[in-house]
Amino acid sequence: MRLLTRVVAALLLSAVPAGAAPIAQREVLGNGMTLLVAERSAIPIVSVSVYLRAGSVFDPPGAPGVASLTADLLTRGTARRPGPELDRAIEFVGGSLEADAGKDGVTVSLAVLKKDLALGLDLLAEVLREPAFPEDELKRRVAEVQAALKRSEENPETVAGRALGQALYPGHPYAHPTQGTIESVGKITREQVLRFHREHYRPDAAVVAVVGDVTRDEIRRELGARLGGWAAPAGARAAVPSAIAVLPPAITRTLTRELTQATVYMGRPAIRQDHPDYFPLVLANYVLGGGSASRLYTRVREERGLAYSIYSSLSPARYGASFVVGLQTRNEGVDEAMRLAKEEMSRMGREQVTAAELDLARAYLIGSFPLRMDTSGKVARLMIAVEEYGLGLDYPDRYKERIGRVTAADVQRVAARYLDPATFSVITVRGKTN
Amino acid sequence: MRTARLVALSLLAAAIFAAAPAPVTASGHSGEVLEATLDNGLRVLVLEDRRSPIVSVQVWYKVGSRNERPGATGLAHFLEHMMFKGTPTRGKGEFARLVEQNGGQDNAFTAQDVTSYFVNIAADKVDLVLRLEADRMRNLLLDPKEIDSERQVVMEERRTRTEDDPDGLLSEELSAIAFKAHPYRWPIIGWMEEINRINPPELRAFYDTYYVPNNAILAVVGDVKAPDVLARIREVFGGIPRGPTPPAVTAVEPPQIGERRVIVRKAGAQLPIVSIAYHVPNHASPDAPALELLSTILSEGRASRLYRKLVYEKRMALGAGGDYSYASVDPNLFWFYATPLPGHTVEALERALLDEIEVLKSEPVPDEELARAKNQIEASFVWRQDSVHSRASGLVRFEMLGSWRLLDRFVPMIRAVTAADIQRVARAYFPSDKKNVGVLLPAEPPAPAGK
Repeated sequence: MRLLTRVVAALLLSAVPAGAAPIAQREVLGNGMTLLVAERSAIPIVSVSVYLRAGSVFDPPGAPGVASLTADLLTRGTARRPGPELDRAIEFVGGSLEADAGKDGVTVSLAVLKKDLALGLDLLAEVLREPAFPEDELKRRVAEVQAALKRSEENPETVAGRALGQALYPGHPYAHPTQGTIESVGKITREQVLRFHREHYRPDAAVVAVVGDVTRDEIRRELGARLGGWAAPAGARAAVPSAIAVLPPAITRTLTRELTQATVYMGRPAIRQDHPDYFPLVLANYVLGGGSASRLYTRVREERGLAYSIYSSLSPARYGASFVVGLQTRNEGVDEAMRLAKEEMSRMGREQVTAAELDLARAYLIGSFPLRMDTSGKVARLMIAVEEYGLGLDYPDRYKERIGRVTAADVQRVAARYLDPATFSVITVRGKTN
Repeated sequence: MRTARLVALSLLAAAIFAAAPAPVTASGHSGEVLEATLDNGLRVLVLEDRRSPIVSVQVWYKVGSRNERPGATGLAHFLEHMMFKGTPTRGKGEFARLVEQNGGQDNAFTAQDVTSYFVNIAADKVDLVLRLEADRMRNLLLDPKEIDSERQVVMEERRTRTEDDPDGLLSEELSAIAFKAHPYRWPIIGWMEEINRINPPELRAFYDTYYVPNNAILAVVGDVKAPDVLARIREVFGGIPRGPTPPAVTAVEPPQIGERRVIVRKAGAQLPIVSIAYHVPNHASPDAPALELLSTILSEGRASRLYRKLVYEKRMALGAGGDYSYASVDPNLFWFYATPLPGHTVEALERALLDEIEVLKSEPVPDEELARAKNQIEASFVWRQDSVHSRASGLVRFEMLGSWRLLDRFVPMIRAVTAADIQRVARAYFPSDKKNVGVLLPAEPPAPAGK
């Protein structure tokens, strides 16, 4: 508690319009750690997610997979107990403690019944601050990751996704697979993992999102007792180049596998929430391929029966964003499905969406926001995104307001700018046709 | 919404119980659920949950691939797709459009025993959803042109889930040999040839037979006033006539004689898979709680037995687990499965799995392991109250077994299981001469055939 006394006051409460509740109570603790709390007392459960800027985007040059391996090994032994003992301790109370790396960050998530919160927090603090990274566990995990990477070659969506990453972000760390490659993982040393942990697992790069049957005072006290002494290292936090403004050359790549169905990903870099075109592009995405009423779904699936899976998505991340159109169709249907998809993409920029389409998209995006917060896990993920992307704790209200303001002309303008099929790289993973 | 219209394949269906939410104590629920059976037989469960301004509306029909016949497999799932294709008053795509326009999310899945439709939406839109569900319960168009178009979509779904997925392919092949009389032997999505063949009159007959109020359970959980919702349900659904009682499934799987084995060579697969399946009883048996606990002991978490032994200690497997379908309407299979790490053979891994099964028979499960699994099941029951969606599906899953009230009895039944019970059921149901073994091996691509 003492170390956490320099609490920066909860933000934004006063800035929120009347009637709206912020999605979390926020404060920055003395060691630089950001604490977000959403109290939900009806069910005696607590979810604690610690998000660290320690994803694969920070992999050392030439060593893809270090971030992911470091995260995997957090729960494989600490200074106080070996991995299997950790597993037994948390699972004995029906809880879970997992660490998972993505491109931008690592999330260490604890899920426990309220009565077991103290034990859960003890273990969480241990894996964050004192992981032992035993050599034997590293070897074991490397073999598993290599096998998993080999197996993932069976999955056309994984294969296509990796190829698309390379096409969209040439030269940027977003281009390499989060888990690394079979070759790169095999070369990772314990020393690299230790160094990665030292440099990137730091309280001033951590966001702790707590959802559940706990008060803010209680969780601040409990976390303070365990993580208060966790101090940031002297060095500055690592910087990553932005991949936002860069539009790489659009490439076309076809990978042939033993498949009866083709998976097609068309993608290009896009924009994040901080860009004025973002909300119009959210609308454009929804009209194009966001749901069962969308143009792609209607045209390719409902009218032509060419696909089970057909969609578009806009995925903002911390250092970049992507817009992807994905579909799966029988090998013989690729040309036709792609022709239809490209036609719909072009049409978005050529003519205005109808008033009915715009109304539907706005109504859905605004009306469904509460469904983005209907489980503890979803609330925690939204809180972390709000913090990481600087969206503000009043995001649900701002979102409503920004989406509501978008016009058909806005949608057409951003579609012309971001949805021109000529700017999209196309990855096809397919079987041979006769 | 990406992969709207799900089909739960056999392993997923086997885990049907694993998705069930429920409170721990009887007092947690018993006073709160408002239940009713309408005159037309529709079973209704309403539960108030005021934590968020949302509601989950779910209609479950007691029909799945179990109710199909050879030659027309996949009907239940095909019909699920057609449920989104319109009625005389609401054309195709209207259902999705209306739900989305009101900020809702909808989807559906088909399993061996049930077909489930759900909409999660702002609580003040509950009336709209009730009207939509009542409409498609009885007034489906089933336009032949739409059927032909959707047929292609279902075939694409099968390509994704089975033809091009080694796991899906193997579990389909293993089910097909494990059962010889019972409909659980064919895949939920149906055989490709039959998806291709099914005709409009068959879909119509299947719809008329099973989509009747007396074959459905409607659950509403969320920020609503239960008596008001029930009154509205009476108004909206009350006019739908009761249908004839759907025919019972009479197939009974005869006792297995001898071991059965299938080896699937799949081009494109990167690693082998080994599955072993045994016939076991369902929830109706007093042995069911022990089998449920056993599957948790085997597979839940990194301290679980198959992970600890095969993945961690022996370093033979990339993954390993076991699955039991407690809630299956008819007796089903208990699955063991594992994928070898490169350098280990499927033969060695199969032996290692069988060794673990023998250990279950010969040695009582240690106290700590037993207590851990019980705690895991109990905690998962608490966690599944986290959302209105999982609360609603939990009520229905137990109602399928006889009554939603059974969910209050489940944890006490699990708590009562002893190490001797586990040992007894392992001996009774995992006889070494009555196993079904499926092995998937990566195959070289075939030499190009002449055109």
